[in-house]
Amino acid sequence: MSGAPVLEVENLVKHFPIHGGLLQRRVGAVKAVDGVSFAIAKGETLGLVGESGCGKSTIGKTVLKLIEPTAGRILLGGEDVTALKPGAMWPHRRRIQTIFQDPYSSMNPRLSAGTIVGEPLENFGIAKGKDLEARVVRLFERVGLRPDSMRKYAHEFSGGQRQRLGIAKALSVNPDLIVADEPVSALDVSVQAQVLNLLIDLQEELGLAYLFISHDLGVMRHISHRIAVMYLGRIVEITDKRTLFTNPLHPYTEALLSAATAPDPRRKRRGKKIVQGDVPSPANPPSGCHFHTRCPYAVAECKVTSPPLKEVAPGHHVACLLR
Amino acid sequence: MSAILEVRDLRTQFDTLDGVVRAVDGVSFDLARGETLGIVGESGCGKSVTALSILRLIPPETGRIAAGSSIRFEGEELTGLSEQEMKRLRGHRISMIFQEPMTSLNPVLTVGTQIAENVTRHLGLPKKAALARAVEMLDLVRIADPGRRVYEYPHQLSGGMRQRVMIAMALSCDPQVLIADEPTTALDVTVQAQILDLMLELKEKTGTAIVLITHDLGVVAETTQRVVVMYAGRKVEEAPVEALFDNPLHPYTRGLMRAIPRLDVEADAAGTRPRLQEIPGLVPLLTRPIIGCAFAARCELATDRCRTTPPPFVDAGGGHIVACWEAKP
Repeated sequence: MSGAPVLEVENLVKHFPIHGGLLQRRVGAVKAVDGVSFAIAKGETLGLVGESGCGKSTIGKTVLKLIEPTAGRILLGGEDVTALKPGAMWPHRRRIQTIFQDPYSSMNPRLSAGTIVGEPLENFGIAKGKDLEARVVRLFERVGLRPDSMRKYAHEFSGGQRQRLGIAKALSVNPDLIVADEPVSALDVSVQAQVLNLLIDLQEELGLAYLFISHDLGVMRHISHRIAVMYLGRIVEITDKRTLFTNPLHPYTEALLSAATAPDPRRKRRGKKIVQGDVPSPANPPSGCHFHTRCPYAVAECKVTSPPLKEVAPGHHVACLLR
Repeated sequence: MSAILEVRDLRTQFDTLDGVVRAVDGVSFDLARGETLGIVGESGCGKSVTALSILRLIPPETGRIAAGSSIRFEGEELTGLSEQEMKRLRGHRISMIFQEPMTSLNPVLTVGTQIAENVTRHLGLPKKAALARAVEMLDLVRIADPGRRVYEYPHQLSGGMRQRVMIAMALSCDPQVLIADEPTTALDVTVQAQILDLMLELKEKTGTAIVLITHDLGVVAETTQRVVVMYAGRKVEEAPVEALFDNPLHPYTRGLMRAIPRLDVEADAAGTRPRLQEIPGLVPLLTRPIIGCAFAARCELATDRCRTTPPPFVDAGGGHIVACWEAKP
């Protein structure tokens, strides 16, 4: 893989202030993202997996610059875009697009599907008139929608078709990277399979990179090349998919894999290593290693020392004092 | 083993602006004592409406259980019971838990009050004894420090704890049947695993039979003994859980299994991703009567007969039945 990574994130931090009391003073912060670094190469899928409140969606929004990071750097194709104001960010927005869990909520119900998909092309002044229409037809065909459905409205499409519309819209400006935040979580499995296959086909054809955010390990294993496991704002383990599933090193990764269900009745629940307790609040994370309150292997040191993300094998990073 | 719950030819319909929706269209199954039965299918297949029908919770303004349907609980026909009689059953002999516990819990009452209320209503226990029972139940569902938690409000608890409270409430009067509709769908995976373990453990302790309704084949595989697969308001296949996963017979069940991205299948050395099998097309509209097999329009095996005549159930032996003209048991 040559050239600068499509996306690089260095020590990204995003804290949301908590206000309280009579004067609404700042009384604390939700440490949604707490020092996260990773890079995505051209044509690669990096999966971000974790449970609710781990900060995976906040990372997605921050790299899209929909929200401003508290600290850290975001580089798109080697260019630092962290400090860019919305106007200066504008030309970079073509390179990074997004698809959401519920595409319907991001579509104007009064516009036709064709207009919705063509909107970015108009906004960026890439095409207009007949050229625009021809491009939209090609996009519809590319994502498996019939071009004659261009005149329909978003509510006339099924959930899976709406996700195809969302993908067509994201593709319209030829981005390098698509941030996909739980894009198949709301879909039934038979439709989910259609959308995952489409995303993989598009990647192979166009050399797209994905930052794929999901809580579903089965989906992750299917679509990702590398996977980062997050817990309370930090990456606890990052490696290629094969290694993660065959040789997980962080106790939290182990717990996640053990807790996941598989469609195999002989893989009985008994004897699984199930971690106890709930995920603590990111407004008040535990000291030291955030996972020590639920970790079956934790020692006294884990309560005080925050483990750094160490490279234990080429490309395999783990944040655990015991590994 | 005699069935504790027998559902026969259940038809539940709703009136909508687009016409009558046949949400459940002739479903039959039995639930044995102490058994865990899974009902699985995708959105709109009628699995949740089946649960609501058993509990007689179909809103009478818009929906109804059609004449000819039968739901027998311990031999007693439920479809003809009055609302008063149903209220004596619900939460007592038949209990339920739903996906989002927050919407089923009263936000202005402590969880102890809510559990005690159920106990007082059905078992006639005085207030103090009912609250003691609530503490006992919270302890049973392994909520730490139950003597203190009993005085807390739902918003003070995490999602996993709230679902534990719902289970405590549902089991507080020793029900014979527990209907769980997507009980872990809103929970994180590590918490889902805790709740599934808890449900199975309590089932063994109390002997309560469970109807587990879910879209998740992984949950079904790991927790149930027998499975009913539904599609477009109909039962298409029923089998013991091992038989269903070893040898799915209905083309829809087969399609579902091949569509799941699996965690337990090893990717090849190069890391190439095998294609997931798609099921082409969409679920049929339930506002129009379905002639023939409901899956025919999406099925690669479909013949003219499938499109015109509803398939009968074929017995594959060992309690495995399938509604398909083309399946080869």
